[in-house]
Amino acid sequence: MNQPSRLRVENLNVFYGQNQVLKNISLALPDNRITVIIGPSGCGKTTLLKSLNRLLDEQEGVRVEGRVLLDGQDIYQPGADITLIRKRMGLLSQKPQVLPMSIYDNVAFGPRLLGLRDRRVLDGLVEKYLRLAGLWDEVKNRLQEPAARLSIGQQQRLCLARGLAVEPEVILGDEPTSALDPQSSRNVETQLLSLKENYTIVLVTHILRQAKRLADYVAFLYFGELIEFGPASEVLVSPRDSRTRAYITGEIS
Amino acid sequence: MNNLPGGQNPGTLRKRLRVESFFKVLMAASALLVLVGLVLILAIILWKSLPALKLSMIIRNPGSGYYLGREGGILNAILGSLQVVFGATLLALAIALPAVVFLNSYLRRKSWLAELIRFSLDVLWGIPSIVYGAFGFLVMITFHLRASLLAGLITVAMVELPILSRALDETIKLVPPDLKETTYSLGASRWQTATRVVLRQTFPGLVTGVLMAMGRGLGDAAAVLFTAGYTDKITTSLLQPVATLPLAIFFQLNSPFPEVQQRAFASAAILTILILLISLASRSLSRRLSRHKIR
Repeated sequence: MNQPSRLRVENLNVFYGQNQVLKNISLALPDNRITVIIGPSGCGKTTLLKSLNRLLDEQEGVRVEGRVLLDGQDIYQPGADITLIRKRMGLLSQKPQVLPMSIYDNVAFGPRLLGLRDRRVLDGLVEKYLRLAGLWDEVKNRLQEPAARLSIGQQQRLCLARGLAVEPEVILGDEPTSALDPQSSRNVETQLLSLKENYTIVLVTHILRQAKRLADYVAFLYFGELIEFGPASEVLVSPRDSRTRAYITGEIS
Repeated sequence: MNNLPGGQNPGTLRKRLRVESFFKVLMAASALLVLVGLVLILAIILWKSLPALKLSMIIRNPGSGYYLGREGGILNAILGSLQVVFGATLLALAIALPAVVFLNSYLRRKSWLAELIRFSLDVLWGIPSIVYGAFGFLVMITFHLRASLLAGLITVAMVELPILSRALDETIKLVPPDLKETTYSLGASRWQTATRVVLRQTFPGLVTGVLMAMGRGLGDAAAVLFTAGYTDKITTSLLQPVATLPLAIFFQLNSPFPEVQQRAFASAAILTILILLISLASRSLSRRLSRHKIR
């Protein structure tokens, strides 16, 4: 694989107390591609994802060993600016999590954190990112309404817009469509496919068909180990490892 | 027959139904008792105070000979109580809010410091207000201070602090961890997360907590007994003594004159109505403020 990659994981081990949930993971996530992490439940997919923007730090009793390099800088090195790291990685969570404020303020949240106050600039950004997330036409006449009133599919796209407004380089998605109806899932997937031109995208999913639709690269995790990683056409079609094959053919779930 | 499992035997079934309806009636009666208690108290206070409930009660200070049954009202105590309780609640909030944000945003949930602070708050909650009053009194004697609005409101603030802190703590604890995670992942610091999202999400709960603490502070007699003093005038300085409604009730109820006793009940009615208004306000406010809340 000769894909350029600015986000690399090297010898990553993660422990929850005595429990090792990630075992010596190393992989390079290709730029401007969608990498999908697949694997059974409880095998460390979400942990791997959350280690990429140090959200793991917020959980109690977690120990991380190894390195995650972003542009050659180890994000776990002491003194690394966590808020800056997180700003470079937008996160879409399983259940859309809108902030307790208006639609407008949700999108403007990130830019405002950076100190942006000019109303006209903010207006422009809000429109730009809502369009990018494919939500603008549905909400342009009710930007001041509470975000909590949107349908769940709209909320997830609002979260996408809000994440994009921070101008990240990487988009992380933790089963971002699992709480959505098929139509909304499709909307979010379409947006993700069109976004990969400008962003590096890492998705966790346990839906194989979704992996097939979206993935350029696939990583298969099994009990905390990275079993296989490579182009989707290889891993999903002719896996090398018997466990990957068992998972893909549905022998294990 | 008796060896069959419960419901199979018609006799057993009948017995189970009887037990069920017995306890159902018992529970309904207990629930009703709460309602009856409130209605009875309100009714008795209103009935007893009816002869004395005039407009002059709430717009005049006690005149000369008021405590012998002559003209006047308890405006001094109404305003005094509000002065004490607003000051006390502001003071308590100024301490409780940062403390609770620290507990929830900066300490790990199970850290020994957090546990110790929560335990202390529970102990403080359990301490009767007369003890705070006595404590305040002791401090005043040590520093040769007179009973005053300032001393009274500080003491009431001590009574309110644990109530307020625990109420705020419980609301802030309920913020979904995902919400905080989301905010962090947008690059917000802990401080920004706490002030821009957590406090916003919990705002209705905060308002309820503040009003609850106010209600408690408004009605507390023991805390102000030694510390706030009493006066027939309206207090205009933090260092003057201040009249309060609970003490107005207490003094007038001790009088041998029936007119004055009636006024004690009128004062109680006014205090109860004030607290009722606060409760109603807190209900309608928390409903209106939860527009943005994420459920």
